Amino acid sequence: MIHSVDTILALVLLSILFSYGYSQLFRLIIVVGFQGIVVSIVPFFIGHDMTAGGIVFTIATLLIRGIIIPMSIYIAMKKRAIQSKVAPIIGYQASILCGLGVIVAATYISRQLNIPSISNYTLLFPTAIALPVTGMFLLMTRRNAIAMVLGYIIMENGIYLIGTTISVRALHIVEFGILLDVLAGVMIMATILQTIERTFDDVDTENLRTLKE
Amino acid sequence: MVEIVFLIPFIIGVMAFFLPKEITRLFLVSTGAIHLILSLLLWKNRPEAIFNNYFAVTPEGLLSLLVISLLFFLISIYTVGYLQESDIQTENIFTGFMLLFLSAMTMVTLSVHIMVMWIAIEATTLASAPLILTHRSSASLEATWKYILICSVGIAMALLGSVFITLSMDIGNVDAPLSFSTLTMVAKKLDPMWLKTGFVFILVGYGTKMGLAPMHTWLPDAHSEAPSPVSALLSGVLLNCAYLGIFKTNKIMHAAGLNDFSGTILIVFGLMSILAAATFILKQNEYKRMLAYSSIENMGIIAVGTGIGGIAAFGAVICMIHHSLIKSSLFLSSGNILLGYGDRMIKGTGDMVSRMPKTFVAFFGGFAGISGFPPFGIFIGEMFIIVGAFRAGHYIIAGIFILSLCVIFAGFANHVMKISFGDSDSNKRIRLKEKASMVWPQYILLLTSLILCFFMPDTLYQTIIDAVTAIGGGLK
Repeated sequence: MIHSVDTILALVLLSILFSYGYSQLFRLIIVVGFQGIVVSIVPFFIGHDMTAGGIVFTIATLLIRGIIIPMSIYIAMKKRAIQSKVAPIIGYQASILCGLGVIVAATYISRQLNIPSISNYTLLFPTAIALPVTGMFLLMTRRNAIAMVLGYIIMENGIYLIGTTISVRALHIVEFGILLDVLAGVMIMATILQTIERTFDDVDTENLRTLKE
Repeated sequence: MVEIVFLIPFIIGVMAFFLPKEITRLFLVSTGAIHLILSLLLWKNRPEAIFNNYFAVTPEGLLSLLVISLLFFLISIYTVGYLQESDIQTENIFTGFMLLFLSAMTMVTLSVHIMVMWIAIEATTLASAPLILTHRSSASLEATWKYILICSVGIAMALLGSVFITLSMDIGNVDAPLSFSTLTMVAKKLDPMWLKTGFVFILVGYGTKMGLAPMHTWLPDAHSEAPSPVSALLSGVLLNCAYLGIFKTNKIMHAAGLNDFSGTILIVFGLMSILAAATFILKQNEYKRMLAYSSIENMGIIAVGTGIGGIAAFGAVICMIHHSLIKSSLFLSSGNILLGYGDRMIKGTGDMVSRMPKTFVAFFGGFAGISGFPPFGIFIGEMFIIVGAFRAGHYIIAGIFILSLCVIFAGFANHVMKISFGDSDSNKRIRLKEKASMVWPQYILLLTSLILCFFMPDTLYQTIIDAVTAIGGGLK
C-alpha cells in the first residue's frame, strides 16, 4: 500500500535531485524551505504524537525549518549575491548523476537495514539517508558560500528526519533545544555570509583560501 | 542547585551586550570569580540538579568544570589587561560572548543527557565563533567561516551518532532515559551494531571539535586568528569539552564490552593527530599556529591514552588537566608577544629574553612543560601512557608515539629558541609594557601545574580515579 506520507516523500526525493542540478541560489533556497516543511510535518503524520504539545511543536518546527531559516539566508543577502551561481566544482550533469546514485544507494541500504519502527513507510528511510548525503555533497562541491550553508541546512533537515522517525525517544523540549541551536547556527552563518560579502564583494569561497598549513 | 553555575554567566553575558565597556570588564572578572567559587562549592557538596534527567555532577564533569573555572578566572584577569592594550571596538559584545561561551562550556560539563550534551557542545561553537571574528580582518573572517562550518557539520555527525545510539536502544528493546549513566548501566542490552555505528559518528563529530586529525583543519586557523585570550580558552578548555563527549560515549562502549573496538579507533585517530602535528610543526613560521599544532598533538596523546586504557587512561586525564593549564598560559604569553612585537611570524620576533623578560619566563616555562620535561605534569601523563602501551603489548604504537614526540619537541624547540634567543631587529620598539595582570595569570597557571605534580589533593586524585575507572583505567 502506498502511504500518503510516501507520496510527499517522493516529492522530497525529487527535490533532492533538483538540488544537485540547480545553478540558481534562489531556487535552492526554495527547495530547502520545501524540505524543511516536509521534514517538520512527517513525524506528526507517522502518528506518535497527536497531542496538543505535539501540534504546537510541529508548528514551531515548521515555522523555523520551513520559513525562518530559508528566509534568513534570503534576507541576509543582497540581490546580487542571491542571483549569483552556486559555482560548482563538479558539473551539473555529473552532480545529478551523483544524486541519482545517492538515491539508489540510500534505497538499497535502507532495505538492507530494515528498521522495524518504520518498515511501513517505503520511502522514509531512503529520504532520511539521502538528505544528509546531499547536504554533504553540496558542502564539498560548491564554492559559493551561500550554497554551502544551504548544504548544511539540508544535512540538518535530514538528521532531524532520521532522529524523529526511527526513534521516538527524544522529548519535545530536547528537540526544541536542538532546533534552537540549529536556528542560532544558521543566523550566525548568515551574519558571517554578510560580512564575507561586504569584505570581498562576493560570496565565492575562493577568497577564503589564504590560511594554509 | 547545579544549574545556577551555567545560568549566572549566561544571564550576565546577555546583560553585557547592552552595557558600556568599563562595566563589562568588571563583569568579566567578577563572573569568573563567582563561577570559580560556585564550582568549588559544587566540588565539595556535589548536590543534586533540579532537572536531574538532564544535568548532574559526574567525576569527569567536575574535573573539566574545575579546569574551566580556574582557567576562565585567570584568563579574565589577563583579558582586562589585553583589552586595554588592543583596539577592539565592540568590547561589550566581545565580553558578552566570552561569558556565553563560559556558560555553554559549563553546561557541557554538567549535562548527562546525550542530546543535551550535544546541544551544549553546539552552543559552545556558536558562542565562540563571534569571538574569533573579533579583529574583523579578512584572515579572521576566513578562520571563523571554516570554524563554524567545519565544526557545525562535524557536530551534526555527532547528532546522527546520538540518534543511532537511541536506535540501538529501540532494537535492543531497552526502555530507559537517554542519560549517559543509564545507557552505561544497560549497555549490554543495546544493539552492538548500532552502538558501534553511533560511536564512530560521535567520535568523528566531537573529534572534529576536539581537533583530531584529519578533521583538525579549522583548529590552527581559529587559534591563530582569534584574540589570544580566546585562543587560550579554545585550546585550554573547549577541546576538553569535546573530549568529554567522546569520553562519556566511550564509557558506554566499555560497559557494553566493546572497548576493543572503541579503543582501536581512538588510538588510530590519536596517532594520526600526533603525526599530523609532527609534520606541520616543523615548518611552521607563525608562533600561534605552532601552539595550535601542539594542541592537536596533545589531543592526539589524550585520545591514544584513552584508547589504550588501564594506566594509560589515567595518564590521558593527567595530560588533559596539565595541557589545559600549560597551553592556556602559552597562548596568553603569545598574546603578549603579538602585542609587543606586532608580528605574527616567528622571524618577526627574537631576543625575547632581554626584550620581554617577564613574558619570556612564562613562555619558556610553558614550552618546557608542554614538551614533557619533568617535573611538569605532561611528563608524568605521557610516561603513564607509554608504560600503559607497553603493558598492553602495543609496541609499535608506543614506538610511533615516542618518535613523533621527539620530532615535535625538535620542531617546537627550534622555533622557541629563535623567539627567545634569536636575533631581532634592534630598531623595532617593543610596544607592550609587561603589566602584572598580563604575566601573573601565566605564572599562576604554570605554578598550578607544577604544584599538582608534587602535591595532588586526595579529593582530586580520587575524582580522577573515579572518572577513569569507568573506562577501564586506573593506576593498577
